[in-house]
Amino acid sequence: MSLKAFKRALWVYHLNTGSCNGCDIEILAVLTPRYDVERFGIILVGSPRHADVLLVTGPVSRQMVTRLKRVYEQVPDPKVVLQVGSCGMEGGVFYESYNLVGPVDQIIPVDVYVPGCPPRPEAIIEAVVKAWVKLERAAEQRIA
Amino acid sequence: MAALEFGYIFWNPIVWVIAFVVVMAVAYFLRSRGQKKYKKDTAQTQIFLCGEEVPEAERRHVKAHNVYWGLLQTLKGYYNPTTKAHTGIINDYIIWFTAIAAATAVILFIVS
Repeated sequence: MSLKAFKRALWVYHLNTGSCNGCDIEILAVLTPRYDVERFGIILVGSPRHADVLLVTGPVSRQMVTRLKRVYEQVPDPKVVLQVGSCGMEGGVFYESYNLVGPVDQIIPVDVYVPGCPPRPEAIIEAVVKAWVKLERAAEQRIA
Repeated sequence: MAALEFGYIFWNPIVWVIAFVVVMAVAYFLRSRGQKKYKKDTAQTQIFLCGEEVPEAERRHVKAHNVYWGLLQTLKGYYNPTTKAHTGIINDYIIWFTAIAAATAVILFIVS
């Protein structure tokens, strides 16, 4: 796999839309020395305006719908949405909650899904690489 | 153009202008390295407030009035009655002016 068009480091903005923090802890594990994705240039940033990837954890609670849409709109193009955890796909342990509006892909378009409760760090890294490839293709299309 | 120099102080307008131009050039270079593909008039150019709706500039800035909070709090015994007198109605101010002028004239008449 070669990455040509998208030569920059991959910046990821993490948004928690009501997660139990299990997935968030696994994301932190990805950044620890055991996995250390920063050596590949993958870093978490503090603003969606600086990000290439929007990483969403958790089902979407009612209060988070407008926030999620706004944050998604603030990520510059080309962008990829990475959804981590089962509850963002079908509710998970929050299934049938009165306050649940998700899944995530009913509110914003999702490019890569990472199932699991929580998913292993290796799965998250693989998903980020898939997101990177997708960004690569998007960047190539823009160049062409 | 003479430089100002005494002790540890040195100031020369030419040096100052050159330093200013260099700093501005560096700032412009750093700014030019930024993202250029933002879509104008969309949320992409708005301030990021943790996903919250961005209020108007007047509402999101810290008001200059806040700087005087300590002073006003300390002297509120004086400010509260005087603030009530500031009605914003010009007739009230003219009445105050006339009354103070009359009182001053009376005092000056008595003293003299």
